[in-house]
Amino acid sequence: MNPTTPHAPKRPTYRLLWISIAVLFASVFAFRTAIAAQDPAADPASIRSSWEVLGVWVAAFLTLGIFSFLYKDNPLYKVCESLFVGTSAAYYMVNAFWTSLVPKLIAPLAPGFTKAYLLPDFIPSGEPWAALALALVPLALGVLLLCRLLPKAGWISVWTLAFIIGTTAGMRLTASIESDIMAQAAAASQPLYAVDPQTHSIDWATMLAGVVGVVGVLSVLTYFFFSVEHKGAVGATARLGIWFLMITFGASFGLTVMGRITLLSQRFEFLFKDWLGIL
Amino acid sequence: MSEPLLVRLGRIDRRWIFLAMALSIIVPMLLKVRFPEIPQPMARATFEAIERVPEGSRVLIAFDYDPASQGELQPMANAIVHHCASRGHKMVFMTLWPFGGPLAERTIDDILLAYHPGYKYGIDYAELGFQPGNEGVVKLMSTNIPKQFPTDKRGTPLAQVPLLADLADTTGFKLVVSISAGYPGAKEWVQYANGPAPEAFTFVSGTTGVQAAQLLPYYPAQMEGMLLAVKGAAEYETIVEEKYPPPQHPERIGDGRVRMGPQLVAHVLMIVLIVLGNLSMAAGRTRGGMR
Repeated sequence: MNPTTPHAPKRPTYRLLWISIAVLFASVFAFRTAIAAQDPAADPASIRSSWEVLGVWVAAFLTLGIFSFLYKDNPLYKVCESLFVGTSAAYYMVNAFWTSLVPKLIAPLAPGFTKAYLLPDFIPSGEPWAALALALVPLALGVLLLCRLLPKAGWISVWTLAFIIGTTAGMRLTASIESDIMAQAAAASQPLYAVDPQTHSIDWATMLAGVVGVVGVLSVLTYFFFSVEHKGAVGATARLGIWFLMITFGASFGLTVMGRITLLSQRFEFLFKDWLGIL
Repeated sequence: MSEPLLVRLGRIDRRWIFLAMALSIIVPMLLKVRFPEIPQPMARATFEAIERVPEGSRVLIAFDYDPASQGELQPMANAIVHHCASRGHKMVFMTLWPFGGPLAERTIDDILLAYHPGYKYGIDYAELGFQPGNEGVVKLMSTNIPKQFPTDKRGTPLAQVPLLADLADTTGFKLVVSISAGYPGAKEWVQYANGPAPEAFTFVSGTTGVQAAQLLPYYPAQMEGMLLAVKGAAEYETIVEEKYPPPQHPERIGDGRVRMGPQLVAHVLMIVLIVLGNLSMAAGRTRGGMR
């Protein structure tokens, strides 16, 4: 379709959005200035440095920019989103450089250079040659991993990946067996008869919790046992397992909702307390 | 024939729901709605686990979260630090998350040093800071802390920091607390530090709602105490404030309770919306079936 025809879709101008933002921020600025002029002690911003005040305003602008997506997608949201992605990526890169590359690789390879130009507080190892030899291993593995960028030598990176997968699997295997299988099995194997140590009477609540726990574990395990057709007693137990799973998912969803509401609540707290100063 | 209201409700513009959710939080927040918190067994178990640790013990507090989870976890972090300081514990702070360091520093300034000005760096508290490596850090700490952290956060060798000079591994702590938002966090502390030495130290954690279901199986056998999201924080704050009232700025260990007011109203709204959504769907199906 020819864009010059009268039926071409109109591009949104977002004029209303920009005017609303400008009016909102001007109003808040006027409100805060009026409060500060009336009683400087009543204005929380008055005890902040100029940079902190600027930071609060920028944070408020970004918060509202992200919230604006709830109305509809718009350029302000895109700007805030891009800023978030960009600053996060930059922070992680810089952080990885100063906490991983410099102290773990460059420092043992070139301790003098590191102390002179990168980390003045760096304490060289008592055994520099051993540290150097140990640092050559990750250096070599890192170089091999970077070969992935070369079209004809990409296969070399598989060796490093094999190393990473092997060591991670080895480390996690023992931890999982110890903490997630053995200890969990022991925790699930509680006596079904419980006595209250203080009153010496039968503790019905603990007994019920124990029974529910054991039945839940066994029925859910049965549901995931696919070598036998889920019919008869096995099918009934598996269906009970599905109920336990559904209750677990429901509880998990409820907890997630609680977490998300708290995050929203904290953002509003920031806007009303730190930015507007009315809370 | 016009559609019944219940059916039309199913096609409501979702922006009205966003607005309702925002109002359900803003209105109780501005009205300062508060509800009494009755501490539940998990919050009590956390409190009692910390109480059982002998006064003046060396404890490790890991700030395994970032600002994105601050709303849920900072209230419990504040209360835990105040509780530990009130018991005279020597605190060592660290983090497995790169963004956790500044949060630990802020807690030290706002809570530890504000409420307990007698605490001296290097003697009563110290910071190990952040080390990359996720569960690898915990694993190495369980056998050799000086190898994992040759210096403290300020660049001082551990041997020159009185509180850390004789620290060999995680069994040097009587209590380990992980305030955890995910990976790496409380689960890794259970698996790599507490698993190999379950009797060596008491382990408690505070967790986000999202991660809670993953950690619940570890309580109470492998985790003596656990604070579940902001609700757990609010309950724990109540117990801590009752026994150890803060000397000033009591609101700094009250954020959990402050956030529970809007939380309750928003939850009621969620329940109403879920019920209405299901009724609307059922009404729509019935109407479709009648046709």
